[in-house]
Amino acid sequence: MTGRILLNAVTVNGPTVSPGLWAHPEERAHEYTSLGYWRALARTLEAARFDAIFFADMLGAYDVYRASPAPALRQAIQVPLNDPTLLIPAMAAVTEHLGFAVTISTTYDQPYPVARRLSTLDLLTGGRVGWNVVTSNLASAARLHGLEGELDAERRYDRGDDFLAVAYKLWEASWEDDAVAIDKEANVYAIPEKVHDIGHEGPWFSVPGPHLLDPTPQRTPVLFQAGSSERGRQFAATHAEAVFLNTPTAPATKFIVDDIRERAERLGRDPASVRFFPKLTPIAAATDEEALERYRDFLSYSSTEGIFTLLGAWTGLDFDDVGRERLLAFGEKAQTRGLVESLRRDDADRQWSVDELANVFAFGTSQLSVGGPATIADAMEEFLDETGADGFNVASIIQPGTIEAFAEHVVPELQRRGRVQTEYGPGGTLREKLGEDGPHLRDDHPGRAIAATAVTA
Amino acid sequence: MSDRRRIRLTLVEGAGPASDSGLWNHPDYAPELFKDITYWEDLARTLEGAGFDAIFFADTPAIRADTPEARAHALRSGGLPRLDPAYLIPVLAAVTERLGFVITSSITYDHPVALARKFTTLDHLTGGRIGWNIVATNVRSAALNHGLTEQLPHDERYDRGDEFLEVAYRIWNEAWDDDAVVRSRERGIYVDPDRVRAVDHDGRWFRVHGVPISEPSPQRTPVLFQAGSSDRGRQFAATHAEAIYLNANTVAETAHLVADVRARAAALGRDPAALKFLPRIIPVVGGTEAEANAKLEDYVQRSNPESAIVTLQQWAGIDLRGRDPEEVLDLADLKVKGINSEHAADYLRRSARAGERFTVGDLIRMYAFTGGAGNVVAGTPEQIADTLERWVREADVDGFNIAYMLRRHSIADFAEHVVPELRRRGLVSDAEAGAGGTLRERLTGGGPRRAVRDPALNRL
Repeated sequence: MTGRILLNAVTVNGPTVSPGLWAHPEERAHEYTSLGYWRALARTLEAARFDAIFFADMLGAYDVYRASPAPALRQAIQVPLNDPTLLIPAMAAVTEHLGFAVTISTTYDQPYPVARRLSTLDLLTGGRVGWNVVTSNLASAARLHGLEGELDAERRYDRGDDFLAVAYKLWEASWEDDAVAIDKEANVYAIPEKVHDIGHEGPWFSVPGPHLLDPTPQRTPVLFQAGSSERGRQFAATHAEAVFLNTPTAPATKFIVDDIRERAERLGRDPASVRFFPKLTPIAAATDEEALERYRDFLSYSSTEGIFTLLGAWTGLDFDDVGRERLLAFGEKAQTRGLVESLRRDDADRQWSVDELANVFAFGTSQLSVGGPATIADAMEEFLDETGADGFNVASIIQPGTIEAFAEHVVPELQRRGRVQTEYGPGGTLREKLGEDGPHLRDDHPGRAIAATAVTA
Repeated sequence: MSDRRRIRLTLVEGAGPASDSGLWNHPDYAPELFKDITYWEDLARTLEGAGFDAIFFADTPAIRADTPEARAHALRSGGLPRLDPAYLIPVLAAVTERLGFVITSSITYDHPVALARKFTTLDHLTGGRIGWNIVATNVRSAALNHGLTEQLPHDERYDRGDEFLEVAYRIWNEAWDDDAVVRSRERGIYVDPDRVRAVDHDGRWFRVHGVPISEPSPQRTPVLFQAGSSDRGRQFAATHAEAIYLNANTVAETAHLVADVRARAAALGRDPAALKFLPRIIPVVGGTEAEANAKLEDYVQRSNPESAIVTLQQWAGIDLRGRDPEEVLDLADLKVKGINSEHAADYLRRSARAGERFTVGDLIRMYAFTGGAGNVVAGTPEQIADTLERWVREADVDGFNIAYMLRRHSIADFAEHVVPELRRRGLVSDAEAGAGGTLRERLTGGGPRRAVRDPALNRL
């Protein structure tokens, strides 16, 4: 496979992107409350020809580890965390091409105001916005928002389906293309007969409409999703145009890519129109030796408490209770297995310290790539060849240092290989830039058929 | 210049094609400017240069129409589309240093946890320049689109609002101590968890338990604005608001509302002078009085009588469709349904009982520019400055919420001609002067944060 490699940068609107690294002298993420910091990052990403920046988000503090939010607070793991949607307009104002994918939950919000927010962003970015559709499974978020416990997964996704049905109808079926007439003589700004109510009556939402905005460049923002459970994969196959993966190995990645593509095809979609972005955490430098030096430097800042906070949230297991054996077994299933095996080879009888075990996950559970330009570029190409994915969600260890190093060392190498764009494509919208499609949802996307069921009046 | 005499200025905008004036169809009005980020950036710079304290975005989270006729009128007259104004703020903040930003958010449909995070984020990104215009939305279509089967009764909306504010105050002021974020490499901690505590609230409307996830912003609580003029709305304003928007027809009527809300605030233990009142004014500026009047007449001629008819229907329950402009109306027994904005009806009823006569045509002209004709001030810069001074003197107001007839043109007229006159009289501060960096400091002369002894916070 020799297609273009798509690049997203993943971040959060908070001070820490990797456990413990807030203490690193080069880490600048604590400037997250400043507009200037984000505008500079947007310019850096656009100069490196990134396709988009993706904001993950959480609505409550992680509290599985030690059954308390204190570890998350101490290491600033996803807390403090501000609303990421509000960064986008200011970052869009200093860029022309960069896309913005942002996480908004379907579990606590109402679809009507969310559709308005995303249409506003689509207008202000000139059609460069994507929505990472999530269903929230965080108990602490549920308690903050007045729900007794979390909804079970089935019900969360059912709610998500109904939420999206409302959104499709508002975006695709409420305003006709020529509804805005601006006829000053006739005193007609918009033609009432061309602005339709949607009459949605679903299991979770009743929304009469009409939508509050006339059609924006993309109408429906590019839809991203990240679910990996079976129900999540069906949800992604139905709605997603791009899928973020946090899978530990190439085989695990390929399984999900193939599965979602098959499901999408059964739903009448072109399977290639669903694009996959596994997570990649690169430690790039001019040479392999320097990169390894960087890796050791970063590792010296990693926080066991922070790692366990993240692992607790991801697995539901309190590693304070479950012990080392469980953690080691968990490590062996992950991509980090190579690291575990090599450590065992070195000293089979060694008693591992908790810190050593935790450091297996210091930079997440997905692809960690350490090296000079050719090493990382090789690893990326190989991974895509093995999995059929379309690009990477590039995660940071320090911000903006990780991205700057990747842009300096790896992007030029990939451009030389013809795998990363040297100029942005001609289309103005994110949907056009990601592939061969036009600015709007493809005709074979299920959202089109769902929108057509709007009881327009 | 003493702070008491300083005139505070905000500009009222809407993130859509039409402004309050309804004059989107005027030849000099560019209705599509609202889609252009550079329009907003230029406007923010203009306002900051002219010494405005803030730009205020009015908003309704739904189409303002509860009947098919009103819906069609709203669409024809540019009532939609309407952007979510919160997303303009980061753009405007990036090109300004002192200008404040007030956005409308509803306490009727939002959740306090989500709203608190939105304002904290905006307060961070603006460096403490955000204000919240609290509204209890009175539009049925908004209720239906936000998951309610019927809108809440008027007073109940405010009861919910009181509890909403209580939760939001707790999140903003009680959960995180000032020194919670330590970022200490020595101690190996970013946040000291002993200085962060959970909010635990079980009320009639909301149950909120847990640690709010945003750290304190420069102002903590955004500057609270309110505009309710009903009895219950005024009580709400007296309890919570730091600045109050008014939209009354006359100086006397404005004075009546100001005195009433200040008295209510005093009764609640607040310093009545700390509340800042900003009546809406639409200036029409001319080089001569005749020129200004000619401009105004042009605007009146071009105004759409249907707009006034719909406004009166929605605000006061008066149906003027198809009636003779000369017909004299009997408004002495005017009644309104409780769920609508009751003040307009109350004003007309009291005026009628006091002997004033209104024809159908009078009312249509009065409400030609959404609000009252009493808000329109046409004249030379000196005459307009005189009028503003008279309002300050007679109605005890603290500044003005400037509305405009024509987008861009009217604002430029006011900024270029009236503001220098106000500045000459020492009524508007020089752009570089003014108090500290936060909106609260500039607007109220107090500190960046709401005082802990403030009764609204004290009741917690």
